Amino acid sequence: MRNNNNTTAVILATSLFLAACGGGGDEGGDSSGGTPPPTGGALNAGAGSPTGAVGDCSATTAGVNWDALMTKACPKLSDYNLFTDASDPTTGPSRGGVPYDLSTALFSDYTSKYRFIYVPEGKQAGYSVSEVLDFPVGTVISKTFALPDNTAMRDGNELVIETRLLIHRTDGWYALPYYWSSESDATLAIAGKRLVDLKTINNQGEEITFDYSVPKQADCSSCHAIVPGEAGDQIFLPIGPKARYLNTDHTYPDGTVYNQLQYMAEGGLLADLPSNFQSVEKAPVFNDEVSIPSLSSNELDDAARAYLDINCAHCHRADLTLPAGYAGAAGTSGVQLEYGRDYATDPGKFGVCKTPVAGGKDGYPFDVIPGNPDDSYLLFRMTTVDNRHKMPELARNTAHQEGTALIRSWIDQLPSAGCSPSTP
Amino acid sequence: MRQRTKLSQLFTVSALASGLLLAGCGDDGKDGKDAVAGNVGPTVVATTTSGFTITNDAIFVAPDAVTGDDITEALALALFDLPENALVVLPKGRFTVTEGIIVNSAQGLTIAGHGINETILDFGGSNGDDAFRFTGGNGITIRDLGVYEAPKNGIKTLGVDGIHITYTATVWEGPLEADNGAYGLYPLNSKNVLMENNYAYGSADAGIYVGQSENIVVRNNTAKNNVAGIEIENSSMADVYNNIAVGNSGGILSFDLPGLVKAYGSNVRIFSNQIYANNAENVGAGTVGEVPPGTGVIVLAASDVEIYNNQITDNETTAIAITSYFLIDDDVAGYPAEFGATMADGWSPTVKNVYMHNNTIARNGGNPRGALLQPIIDGYTSAFNNSGMEQTFPAILYDGIGELLSNFGAQGIGGFNAIVGPDAAADGVNYDPYGAGDLICANSNINGNSAPEYDQVNTGLVYPVDPADATFDGNGDPAPQLLIEPMIGTNYLSCTQPRLAPAKVTFRNNVYGCTGDDLAEAACAL
Repeated sequence: MRNNNNTTAVILATSLFLAACGGGGDEGGDSSGGTPPPTGGALNAGAGSPTGAVGDCSATTAGVNWDALMTKACPKLSDYNLFTDASDPTTGPSRGGVPYDLSTALFSDYTSKYRFIYVPEGKQAGYSVSEVLDFPVGTVISKTFALPDNTAMRDGNELVIETRLLIHRTDGWYALPYYWSSESDATLAIAGKRLVDLKTINNQGEEITFDYSVPKQADCSSCHAIVPGEAGDQIFLPIGPKARYLNTDHTYPDGTVYNQLQYMAEGGLLADLPSNFQSVEKAPVFNDEVSIPSLSSNELDDAARAYLDINCAHCHRADLTLPAGYAGAAGTSGVQLEYGRDYATDPGKFGVCKTPVAGGKDGYPFDVIPGNPDDSYLLFRMTTVDNRHKMPELARNTAHQEGTALIRSWIDQLPSAGCSPSTP
Repeated sequence: MRQRTKLSQLFTVSALASGLLLAGCGDDGKDGKDAVAGNVGPTVVATTTSGFTITNDAIFVAPDAVTGDDITEALALALFDLPENALVVLPKGRFTVTEGIIVNSAQGLTIAGHGINETILDFGGSNGDDAFRFTGGNGITIRDLGVYEAPKNGIKTLGVDGIHITYTATVWEGPLEADNGAYGLYPLNSKNVLMENNYAYGSADAGIYVGQSENIVVRNNTAKNNVAGIEIENSSMADVYNNIAVGNSGGILSFDLPGLVKAYGSNVRIFSNQIYANNAENVGAGTVGEVPPGTGVIVLAASDVEIYNNQITDNETTAIAITSYFLIDDDVAGYPAEFGATMADGWSPTVKNVYMHNNTIARNGGNPRGALLQPIIDGYTSAFNNSGMEQTFPAILYDGIGELLSNFGAQGIGGFNAIVGPDAAADGVNYDPYGAGDLICANSNINGNSAPEYDQVNTGLVYPVDPADATFDGNGDPAPQLLIEPMIGTNYLSCTQPRLAPAKVTFRNNVYGCTGDDLAEAACAL
C-alpha cells in the first residue's frame, strides 16, 4: 500500500512531470499535467498507439507502453508507463490519458477512485445510448482505489491500495489487478490480496474498521462479463463509462469545468455525440454528501434507480439493451435492475413481492416489500457483510450507510403491492 | 508444448507471489523423459480412487502441500489463463482455501483431486461466497475431490455447455443448520449437465440442484441430510436415476418457480431412485423452506414429470406430493398482478401431466408435519376428511386445486389465458380445462407395506377436480374435500400418460444417459 499525502504528492508529481517533459521532448502544447485543454488538436495527439508487435514490459517508452499493454501481463504497473510519476496513479496521466468521474458510482468500501481513460492516438470512442461507450481496440482504463482517512475530507490523506486496468485488446477486454505493495510501485496481484483491519472515519464521524479485498484476476469477470442465455462465450465489458454516468461536469487539472462527454467529443476522443445534447441520458449525481430527505419523490426514485443500476445491474440485468440473448451473471435470478427498465411494467423484476430463489433468509420473505424495507431481503443483502447473503458479492466488506439509506427510502415510497403491509 | 508455455507463465507470476506453493511437474527435462524430442506422450504419475489417471503433463497445484496448508494462492494462480484441455490436479490431503475460486470460459478443463475423500478443500474460513464458480466455457470436468463448508454454494456453474461433476463431494459437516451454505452442486443456466457418483451432505438448500438448464443426467449420486436432496428447477430434458436420497427434509424435488428467465421446465424423469427416511427438520429459507419435512418426492408447479420405479419408503409425511403453486400463494385473484409477467413467459401455477407408476411405496406418512400442509394434514388425520374417520396421511397427495380452477373455465382461471404470451401459448401453456394429456396419473404403484399396515398406503386428493363435485365455503371459494382411498384404487388419479423421452447429455463428443452410455442399464429399460 501507498500512503498518499496529497500535498506532498502534488509537489512530487509536478517536479516529476517537469523532468519527464524535459526528457521526453515530444510534441509540445502539453501544459496541464498531461491534459491539454479541449481545443486545438485531439486530446490523444502524440499519445502513440499499439504497433501490433509483441510488447516488452521492460521497454523504455516516451509515453504509454501500448505494446506491452496489448500483449503482456506485466509484473509491475510502472511497466506500462501510464503515469508521469510512476509512483502516483491518482494524477498526471501520461499523454493521451483523460481523467473522468461517474455521477453515481459503485460503492467500494468508501474508497476514493481515480479514473483515467487512454484512447490510442488517431482513434476515438463511439457513442452508445445506453451501454458503455464503444471504445476502440487499444483503449486502457485505469482505476485506482484509495481509502481516505476521513470520508468527509477526500482531499486529505489516504491510503492508495490498488490500481485495476481494463485493456481493450484485439481479442476483447482484459483485466489486470495491481496491488500497491510499496510506496513506489504496484505489483500484479493475480491471486488478489486481502488487507485486514483498515480504518476510516465516515461521514457521520464514526471510525469504522473492515477488511479490504483486492479482487483476484479471475474475479474481474464476475462483474464485467455478460453471459449468453444459451451456454457459450461470455463478453467482457467495462461498466461505468456509459453516457448517463459521464454526462456531468468534471473539474479538469487546469481548472476547466466542463461536461465530460462534451470534453471528450470536442477533444476528439468521442464520435457521434448527439448534437441535441438534451437527448443524452443523464443519471443523477449521488454521493455521500447528498441529503436524502431533501430529495423530491422523483429525485429519490431517480437516484435509487441509478444507484441500483451502477451497483447491481452489471449482474442483475437482462438483454434490455444488450445483444439479444445476453444477460448479466445474475440475469437468471429474475431480479433485473437496469436504469432504463420500466418499473410499472413488471415490479417483480425489481424484486417486488418476489420470493428469493437461491436461498433466502428467515424473516425476509420477499426481495422487496414496498413500504417495509426492514423485511426486504434486497436491503438486508446490501447491508449485511455475511458472505452467504451479502450483495454485491465481491469487494464490499462494509455497509454503505448512505447508499442503503437511499434504497431504504426508495422501498418506503414505492407504490404498495400485494406483499406490502396492509394499511389501516 | 502448450503446456510448457503455460508453466513458464506461471513461474513468471510465481516470482511475484510470496509463499507460493505451485510447481509444475516434468517441465524441465531433468528426469530425462519429457524433454526428449519425439517422446511419445505423457506418462501416468497417479491414479485417483475412482480410477482416473493423472499424467505428468498436468498442472499440479501445490504438489508438496501438506494437510492444513492454505493453497488459495496456488489454486488461483494455476487457474489463471488456462490453456485448452488443461488438467489441473489438486494435492492429496485436507487444505484450507480462503477465497472463492472463479474460473472463466474454460475450454475442456479437468480439475481433479486424488479422490472424493483424499482431496478435501475446506472453505470454512473463506472470505468469498461460493467455493467454486465456473462461468462460461465448455467441456468442464470436476472430479475426485470434496468441497467442505462453503460460505454459500459449493460448486456453481453458470452458462457452461458441458459440465461433468463426478466423484465429488459437497459437505457441510455436523448437524443440518440454517447457515450451512446454500446449494451444494449447482449447475445454473447450463446445458449438457452430467452429475454422477457424487455425495452431497448437509446443505441448507439443495444438495444437488440443477436450475434453468437443459439436457441433464443426474445419476448414481447420494444426497444426504440436506434440506432438499436433489432438485430440478425450471429445467428441461432431465433424467434423475439410480440416486439415493436419504435423511433430507425432501428427497427429490421438481419445481417450476415464478419470475425466472427460463420461465418453466419440462420433461423431467425421476426413476429407479432410493428415496427413504427424508425426515430432517427443514431449516431452509425461501421456497425450499416450505417443503414439508418427511417428503419423499415433491412436484411443485412443474409439468411433464414422470416418476417411476422408485423405492420411496419411510418418509414421515408423504411419499409423493404433487402440488400447484396455489398451495404456496392462495391469492388466486392476485396472480395476474403478482405474476403476470412471468405467466406471460409461460410460468404457470398449475401442475400438469405428472405420471407416477411402478413405484414401491412403504411406511410413509407416520408423522406428517410442515406448515405448508398443516391444514391438510389436520384434515386427513382427524375425522374431517371425506371418509369420516382419521386416516394415515396419503402416500400420494395431489392438491387438485389448479386442475379444479382450470376445469371451472371462465369461472375459474380460464381468464389467465389472456396473460399467456404467444411463444408460451404456442408451446402449449394454457389455463383451459384439463385434457387427457394434462392429467395427474398414478397406477401400477406397489404397496410395499406388509399386513397389518398394508391398508395404510393411500392416495389423497385435497380438492375434487370435477366442478360438478365442488363444494364452496362461505366466501364462495372451493372447499377442500380431503378425498382419500387406498393407493391401489380406481377413483383418483386412475389414468395413464405417454412415457416421456429420455434425456441426453452430449459431453466432449460422447453421449451420456439412457440413449448413450447407459443403453444397457437396467433402470433405462423400464
